[in-house]
Amino acid sequence: MGDRSLASRLYDDFINQNRYMYLVRGLGNTVLITIFALLIGVIIGVIIALIRVNYHQSRKKSILLRIANLVCGLYLTVIRGTPMVVQLMIMYFVIWASGAPIMIAIVSFGLNSGAYVAEVIRSGIQSVDRGQTEAGRSLGLNAHQTMLNIILPQAFKNVAPAIFNEFIVLLKETSVAGYVGIQDLTKGGDIIRSITYDAFPPLLVVAAVYLVIVILLTQVLHVIEGRLAKSDLR
Amino acid sequence: MISVKNLYKTFHTLAGDVEVLKGIDCQIAKGEKVVIVGPSGSGKSTFLRCMNLLEEPTKGEIWFDGQQINAPGVNIDAVRAGMGMVFQHFNLFPHLTVKKNITLAPVMLKKQSHEEAEENAMRLLKRIGLEEKAEAYPNQLSGGQKQRIAIVRSLAMNPKVMLFDEPTSALDPEMVGEVLAVMKELAEDGMTMAVVTHEMNFAKEVANRVLFVDDGQILEENEPEAFFSNPQNPRTQDFLSKILT
Repeated sequence: MGDRSLASRLYDDFINQNRYMYLVRGLGNTVLITIFALLIGVIIGVIIALIRVNYHQSRKKSILLRIANLVCGLYLTVIRGTPMVVQLMIMYFVIWASGAPIMIAIVSFGLNSGAYVAEVIRSGIQSVDRGQTEAGRSLGLNAHQTMLNIILPQAFKNVAPAIFNEFIVLLKETSVAGYVGIQDLTKGGDIIRSITYDAFPPLLVVAAVYLVIVILLTQVLHVIEGRLAKSDLR
Repeated sequence: MISVKNLYKTFHTLAGDVEVLKGIDCQIAKGEKVVIVGPSGSGKSTFLRCMNLLEEPTKGEIWFDGQQINAPGVNIDAVRAGMGMVFQHFNLFPHLTVKKNITLAPVMLKKQSHEEAEENAMRLLKRIGLEEKAEAYPNQLSGGQKQRIAIVRSLAMNPKVMLFDEPTSALDPEMVGEVLAVMKELAEDGMTMAVVTHEMNFAKEVANRVLFVDDGQILEENEPEAFFSNPQNPRTQDFLSKILT
């Protein structure tokens, strides 16, 4: 391999038989999994955060709330205490053996992300001053209206950078999707290597694509933060 | 209008139970302006916050408008919609514009249509001379402006009574006047008011009655003239001598 020119290696790795399409299609799957998993993660995260905050704040805890809180605690412990790859494989080979792999990946990454997002959102809710709740309630809004219209928007604003960071982490974490046969970006590079026996250029390109996306997302984050900070300007 | 009977409040803290209110009885008639004074830690704020159940009484009864509001089954949200409250730290909603701060509750609780609420908000803002701040965010305002807006935010719900919890204590001295002016105007319009404050001149000018609270009890109550010129209880005398220097 050492005697081949760089140009011919690159030609073989990416141009010949349109092999770059492995990366393009792989990137498509990576983005698909990441976006929908984050969506699921945020939904699960909000629900869990609300249950846990509610549990800690209410003086009279109903049986239902106690059970819900217990389930959430268990979920957080298991998800955060086991590796993502293992969760993915359990989901793929044991629990949901007959589904479309990409769906299984989305659900697995979503469930995983939800556990981390939940804690982020919970800290966001708790960071909002108690006076905000008091002001809302004193105007006659009920607990749900106050949470939805006054507390959550401020909580989201407080944790927007952390959630966006979760997005970036998730994007990179989906690189283990290949373990269950999904052709994501990383797997795409790996397939090229297995065809051409040339590892370095495909991996380098894969790494570069991740890096560029992360840099772009970070730029988007700054824009979002700027918008959110509008109400903080003096 | 408001009737407080044998009110007790105990806070359960890590350091043990703290009995903050020890048997308070008080009536506030319609249109009356009651000013509550007392040293810090006396329980006067807790007393006020019990009136709209931001603090739940440990024992005793709170009556508002002929209804016992700390009884089981009472819709406390509906009750609170008729009681405005102004806080020491304003508690404006920082993520909403001034106008949205004012219209949020009336629109959400279907007291007013969106258009009515906006119109009402602009009218209220005009009244306090801040109509040009309608689209501003709270953090762009001075403390005095914030508190005046917090007052009209409560007024937008057309409350029957206004509770003020040290409304000027967090303000820079030069901004106290503008807030008190709004409160005075409100008093002149006949609003029923309960005010916890350290502004003794406000108490003298506006109050029908001054309550002195210390150690969780009302130790003395009188009309302001007599209260300030001729306090009876030695602790009232001591308190006034320290504060009116």
